[in-house]
Amino acid sequence: MTSRELLLAQEVTASRPGDDGVPERVLQKTTLGVASGEILSVVGPSGSGKSTLLRLFNRLLEPDSGQITLSGMDIRTFPPSVLRAQIPLVTQKPYLFAGTVKDNLLASARLRRVAPPDLQSPDIKKLTEMCRVEQSWLERDARKLSVGQQQRICLMRALLGPCRALLLDEPTSALDRQTAAQMAQTFRLLANEKDLAIILVTHDLQIAELCADRVALMVGGSVIETGPAAQVLHDPEVDAARQFLLAEPAVNDDGAV
Amino acid sequence: MNSAIIDLSLWDLVTVYSLLLMSVGLAHLLRAGQSRDLFWSGLRMFVQLMVIGYVLHLVFALESALPVLLILVVMTGFAVQTIGARVEIKMPNFYRVVGAAMLFGCGGMTFFFCTLVIGLEPWYDPRYLIPLAGMVIGNSMTGASLAAERLAAEFRERTEEIETALCLGSSVKLAAEPAVSSAFRAALIPSVNAMAAMGLVFLPGMMTGQILSGTEPLIAVKYQIAIMCVITGSVALTTFMILRFGYRSYFTPYQSLRED
Repeated sequence: MTSRELLLAQEVTASRPGDDGVPERVLQKTTLGVASGEILSVVGPSGSGKSTLLRLFNRLLEPDSGQITLSGMDIRTFPPSVLRAQIPLVTQKPYLFAGTVKDNLLASARLRRVAPPDLQSPDIKKLTEMCRVEQSWLERDARKLSVGQQQRICLMRALLGPCRALLLDEPTSALDRQTAAQMAQTFRLLANEKDLAIILVTHDLQIAELCADRVALMVGGSVIETGPAAQVLHDPEVDAARQFLLAEPAVNDDGAV
Repeated sequence: MNSAIIDLSLWDLVTVYSLLLMSVGLAHLLRAGQSRDLFWSGLRMFVQLMVIGYVLHLVFALESALPVLLILVVMTGFAVQTIGARVEIKMPNFYRVVGAAMLFGCGGMTFFFCTLVIGLEPWYDPRYLIPLAGMVIGNSMTGASLAAERLAAEFRERTEEIETALCLGSSVKLAAEPAVSSAFRAALIPSVNAMAAMGLVFLPGMMTGQILSGTEPLIAVKYQIAIMCVITGSVALTTFMILRFGYRSYFTPYQSLRED
């Protein structure tokens, strides 16, 4: 790994409490990084350690060993709240606070105890367009919107802080095909326009194909192959990777499974 | 009308225990599986209260501060242990935090009432101090247990909300705020309800006791009002202190939610 990575995990090992309460190793000496403006998609079967890896990056979990850096600085040198505002996580199931869409968009500032941003400023209006959040939603009850709309609000809410990298945990799995594909376009746009480093955990290879620059394939707690998206998804070098791809719904171009 | 209280003879007690036996019979009839519990708790009550009766009798006769304080400390200790038995996830230093909160909250409020308001002479007069402190400690214990239980439930239910807040750069204090305020509310609900219903739905125990032993009803009423304020103050203060330190136990040292 070179130092061009904005966010870099080096040889991280992590455990989670198992069913009997004894810690189980779910991540083995994993090294993975993402640069600004780049989308790294982490794919793999469930239970392969993808979500655990993601949660290490903003310290929702702590590794047993190894180091994670943001711009070359150990993430443990930042106060956790400062770190998380820079590397927010958007989860599979959108969580919106009770209140209007506007309340939710201003939540980031409220929780960081800073002055609320002007939602009508040109910058934020542009962000609103990128995230496909409609101005007409602002005064509506956030929890009454569709899941797809809620997920867009979660995304935009995360970006209204001092965000430098974005962690996405299966962000499209609750959405229909078309909405999911639109989301993928949004991720691409955000990486390009806002120079964000994005780690996208997904089991949906089509979404990975649609927007990722690079793909890392995880099986059983280790990254078994990583490289440019097209190569990993279509012409993997490792046998285990080929087996995983064969078992998954085909990656094709017409957007249908 | 005789203003002195009528003593109950041993025979009188036997008579009322027949009511308990009737309850045991009814429980048996309905196969509620409660007959043994009813019988044994009835017996325990008899033994425990008789012992306490004799202890109080002795303490009243001794006219010294030390045994009074000893009784209060033992009562607080039992209360802290009861709270501990009810709370599933215990914060680090649970017993120290809860013990300090109970001592400070209950002790402070009782002292405030007995010394600054009533003006007890001597300050440890067991006839006032022990029953008043008992009511304050008992109610604070219930409040603190409710708060701690509610806090655990809130943290279970609000995992997503709290984690979302953390991911947006919130401090743990702000992320936990909804859970903490809900727990505080839960602890004070009994006090609120009791004060609102008092005199309408029931005559409170202390007032009833005072009236039975010949106190002028208006004086008994004023005491009841005062003790309710003291109890509410103590519940609020104790709960506040426990929650203030307790919510941190649900977070890791690196400010994320604990997983267990």
